[in-house]
Amino acid sequence: MSVVAFVDLCSLVALIILGLALLLSIVRIIIGPTLSDRVLALDMMTVVAMGFIGAVAIRTGLMLYLDIAIALALLGFLATVALARYILRRGLKVDASAMEAQ
Amino acid sequence: MNSAFLVIILALGWAGITGNFSGLNLLFGGLVGGVAILILRYSIHQQGALRKTAKILSLAALFFYELMASAIKVAVVVMHPNLKSALKPAIVAVPLTVKSDAEITLLANMITLTPGTLTVDIAEDRSVLYVHALAMDNDTALIADIDNGFEARIREVFK
Amino acid sequence: MIADIVLCLGGVLLILGAIFTLLAAIGVIRLPDLYTRMHAASKAGAVGGGLVLVAVALISMDVAVSVRALIGVLFLLLTTPVAAHLLARASYLAGYRADQSTVRDDLKTRLEQNSGS
Repeated sequence: MSVVAFVDLCSLVALIILGLALLLSIVRIIIGPTLSDRVLALDMMTVVAMGFIGAVAIRTGLMLYLDIAIALALLGFLATVALARYILRRGLKVDASAMEAQ
Repeated sequence: MNSAFLVIILALGWAGITGNFSGLNLLFGGLVGGVAILILRYSIHQQGALRKTAKILSLAALFFYELMASAIKVAVVVMHPNLKSALKPAIVAVPLTVKSDAEITLLANMITLTPGTLTVDIAEDRSVLYVHALAMDNDTALIADIDNGFEARIREVFK
Repeated sequence: MIADIVLCLGGVLLILGAIFTLLAAIGVIRLPDLYTRMHAASKAGAVGGGLVLVAVALISMDVAVSVRALIGVLFLLLTTPVAAHLLARASYLAGYRADQSTVRDDLKTRLEQNSGS
């Protein structure tokens, strides 16, 4: 098996695994149960998407995708910071019943 | 001498990021780096950074080793069939001996990325760091681990 | 010859990074409360994302791309713990209590003392 074919196979396998991880993060975003859990899952999803874009960059050979991945990581960090501030301001009172159910 | 060295590093970093190692681009990078250092000259008064390179590198090596160990440990816990028995979460107060902002930030970041620990909060008087542990068997061992590992190395680097 | 080894190493690192990311996602699903989930997301997530970027750096075979990818790794390692810390602190102060299985909570005693005095 040639090296190029091996790398191609690796990127395909990585894309499948990362797709599964993306699906699991989305499940956590849907089931919650509180805002904090959803923000955490969103953060996780950004990292997974970043890995996904990295794998796509390797598969297509277009290294411009790398810039998108780094920009996405930056965006995810800023989003988490902003949402953390929001949680601190608003509190989790609305989610109290969800916490009890848990 | 120190800031000249920094300007060269920044120029090389600039050329690396823009992907163009031509003379003009290097010069531009050096110019931007020089302006940045001029603006930040009151914040970076760290003397003898070169002398400490070995200590910084040893801290970085320890950090990467611990990072891999922590990822593997979390992976093992996550895949444990009986999750409840593998977990023993606790929030422990760890007394701090480092005092400056930079040291505390570095320590808190490193604690978060090392096996089974996560920084949650810091006391107002900066004497205690509240650390969440994934599986705490023995609190004194946990505190001693942080104290002798990263805290001691960070103290050496910043001394 | 060396180029082949580097490419193979890159491929292996890519799969390893993907597996770590998947494990982090499984942790986010399986673990009982926010703080334990945060362990999985911050550690395994950072390592997984970082390994993928290192793989890109190796496979690209281009200095400019490699430097950018390594800067990306550095950035990821700096920001992930900060984001985790901010979210944990905000959630704790907003009233998110840890799971019942938590054996000890020093922070809770401090907050109670503060509100009592």
